[in-house]
Amino acid sequence: MPEVLTGSQILCRTLLEQGVDLLFGYPGGAIMPFYHALPEYPGLRHVLVRHEQAAAHAADGYARATGRAGVCVATSGPGATNLVTGLATAHMDSTPVVAITGQVPRAMIGRDAFQETDIIGITQPITKHSVLVEDVEDLADALREALAIAVEGRPGPVLVDVPKDVQQAKAAWRGSGAAAQRGGAGVPSLAAAVRLLAEAERPLIMAGHGIILAGAYEELRGLAERTGIPVITTLLGISGFPESHPLHLGMPGMHGEVHVNRAIQQADLILGIGLRFDDRVTGNLAAFARGAKVIHVELDPSEIGKNVATDVGLVGDAREVLRALLAEVVPRDCEAWRAEIAGFVRPRHEAFRGDLSPETILGAIDEAAGGHCTIVSDVGQHQMWVAKLYRYRRPNTHITSGGLGTMGFAVPAAMGAALARPDEPVWAISGDGGFQMNMQEIATMVQEGIPVKMAVFNNGYLGMVRQWQQFFHGRRYSATPIWSPDYVRLAEAYGIFGRRVESGGEVERAVRDAIAHPGPALVEFLIEQEANVFPMIPPGASLSEPIEGEPSAPRLVPA
Amino acid sequence: MSGIRVVTVLLEDRLITINRAVGLIRRRNLPVRGLAVGPTDTPGVSRLTIMLQSDDATAERAAQHLEKIIGVRDAAAIPTGAAVTREIALVKLRPPAERYAELLDVVQLYHATVVDESADVLIVELTGSEAFVLSCIRALERFEILEVARSGAVALESGATTPRLGTQPQLEAGVR
Repeated sequence: MPEVLTGSQILCRTLLEQGVDLLFGYPGGAIMPFYHALPEYPGLRHVLVRHEQAAAHAADGYARATGRAGVCVATSGPGATNLVTGLATAHMDSTPVVAITGQVPRAMIGRDAFQETDIIGITQPITKHSVLVEDVEDLADALREALAIAVEGRPGPVLVDVPKDVQQAKAAWRGSGAAAQRGGAGVPSLAAAVRLLAEAERPLIMAGHGIILAGAYEELRGLAERTGIPVITTLLGISGFPESHPLHLGMPGMHGEVHVNRAIQQADLILGIGLRFDDRVTGNLAAFARGAKVIHVELDPSEIGKNVATDVGLVGDAREVLRALLAEVVPRDCEAWRAEIAGFVRPRHEAFRGDLSPETILGAIDEAAGGHCTIVSDVGQHQMWVAKLYRYRRPNTHITSGGLGTMGFAVPAAMGAALARPDEPVWAISGDGGFQMNMQEIATMVQEGIPVKMAVFNNGYLGMVRQWQQFFHGRRYSATPIWSPDYVRLAEAYGIFGRRVESGGEVERAVRDAIAHPGPALVEFLIEQEANVFPMIPPGASLSEPIEGEPSAPRLVPA
Repeated sequence: MSGIRVVTVLLEDRLITINRAVGLIRRRNLPVRGLAVGPTDTPGVSRLTIMLQSDDATAERAAQHLEKIIGVRDAAAIPTGAAVTREIALVKLRPPAERYAELLDVVQLYHATVVDESADVLIVELTGSEAFVLSCIRALERFEILEVARSGAVALESGATTPRLGTQPQLEAGVR
C-alpha cells in the first residue's frame, strides 16, 4: 500500500527529500494547509519574517552564502506580491531562490476571488521559471523540478503556485532517489582564446558573479598567476579574487577607481568571465574599451555579445572553462603593462568629519573578526565604500544586490547568510535609508535567535541620490533629507545591543562589543553628511570621463 | 542590415509557455512585425513563428533568449534569404453586381479562391508571401472590402534542415 499524503505533506516531504531544511515565510489564508502540515516535519525549520519581501531576500542571502536553493513561502494575493522585489533581485543577480505561494482554490481562479492575484503572470519576466500546480499528482515533481531549475546552469528564481485545494487533496507519495540534476554545458574550443591571451600586450581579466557561482576561485587565481594578467572584479565578482593579491586591480565602472577604468580603456584584450557587461560596468558602450578584443566566458549564450561586441565567446561553466584554459595557456608575464597601470593610480578624494570614515569602520570590522566574517551590504553610497574599501580575504564573503540595486536588501539577506554561516559574524551594512526599509526584521532575528550584526551608516540623507542631485541637479535636495529614529533606543525596544558612534576613536570598541554580544546587534555610525563617492563616471559618460573630486560648479546633465 | 527576419520556435502547446515566449519578445523590446502560432505534426508541440524587423544578430539573440524558456524545445533564426514564408488572408467583399465578373478575373489572376458566397457578399482566400498577399488585397480594394483576416506568416528554412526537438536538457529519473 503506497502512503497517501495531502498536497501539503507532499510539499514538506519533497523539500526534505531534496535537502531543504530551512524556509522563510509568512502564513495566510491560501497557504494555511501547508502551515498545518509543517509541524509534522521538524526537519524543516521555518523562520517567520515580518514582511514577505524579507522572506525572499533572506532566501536569496542563504542561497548566495551556500550555493544551494533558498526557499521562501507566502500566501496568495498580497503575500505573493510582496515577494516580487525579492524575486526580481534574485533574477537580476542569478541566484537560486524557490518561492512557494498559496493560491485560491482551483474553482475560484480567474474570478477575482479574495486575495487572488495572477502571481504567475506578475512574476513571469522576473523568474527563471514558474508553475501553477493544478493536480496534486504533479506536485512533488513540480517542486523537484523547481529546485533543480533554480540551481542548474545559470541560477535563478523559480515560483511554484499551489492552489489551496491542491494542498488539501491527497495523492500517493512517490519518492525520488537523488536530488534532481539536469545536464550542464560542455567545454568549448579554446584555441582562439589561447592565441589572443598569448599575443595581447595589455590584457585584463574582468571577473564577475560567475566566478562565485561556479566556485572558480582557484582556477581564476591560477590563470592570473600563470599569465600575469591583472584581475578586475565587478561588484558581484568581489571576493572572487583575493583583494590583497598583487594582480588584483579593483572594481570597474561608475564608481570604479580611476586606474581600473583607465586600464580598461587602454587594454588590448579583455577576458570577461561570468559577467554581463552591465551598463554600470561599461559606461557609454560606444566608448568602452575601444582598443580591446573581447573574450567572453559565460554560461548563458544569450549574454555573449548582448552588450559588448565579442571576438571569442566561450559558453560554459566558469570553473570548467578556466580549468581548460589553464591547461593550455602559454605562461607569460605582463610586467610592463602592470607598471603602466600602477602609474594610473590616483589619490582618493573623499573627506570625512572627525576621522569617522568608511575605511575606519570597515577596517575595524575586518580587524575584530580577524578577516573571518561575511559582509552583506545594502544599496547606495555605503555599498560602494563597502565594495571598494573592505579587504575581502576569503571567497564569497561579499553579498550585495547588484543588478536590481534593491534598497532594504541587506538586513533580511544577512539573516539568510547568518543562518547559512553560524560560525562567523555576518554584518548587514546599510545606509539610514535602506535600513529603514526592512528594519522590522530585527523582530525576526530576536524571535529566531539570528545574530546579525547591523551597521547603519547614517548621514541623514538618501546619500547616493543626494550626490546625484548635487552633481547633476543643481544641488536641489528634493526628498533626500531623511529622518531616523533614535537607533539606540530602537535597539533597546527590540531588546538587542545598540550603540551610537560619533567619532573614529569609538569605532573599534563599538564593533568589538557588538561582535562579543550574543545575538543581534545594531551600531549606528553618524558619518559625514555630504560625503560623496569618488571617483564617479556620470551616467551616459565613458569610463575615460571620471569626476574625481567635488565639482567646482553644479553640473547639469539631461535626465 | 535591418530587414525582415524569421525566428521559429517549437514549444509545448500550453498557454503559459506561449505566454512566456511572447512576453519575452515584449520584455526584450524586440521589433516584432508578426506572430503566428499553430500545431505541429508532433502531438503537444506548437510552432510559433515570429517575424522581426531587425538585423541578423538581433534575430539570433532572440532565438537564444527564447531557447532558455522551460518548455521551448527549439528556437532558431532562419538565415536571411533561406526563409520560405507564406501567409493566408481571407477577404470579405461586397462587389457591385455589375463588377462581379471583373472580380472573378482578379481572383483568378492571383490564384485566389472564393470560399464563401452568400447573397451579395463573398469571401476570397489568398495565399502567398506577405508582399503577394498585400498586393492582392490592394487589387481587391476597388470591390468594396468589408473585412480582412490575415493569419500572419509561417515559415520554414529552405533545404534539408530539421528542428532539433528535445535538445533541452532532460531531467533525470524521478522528475517529469
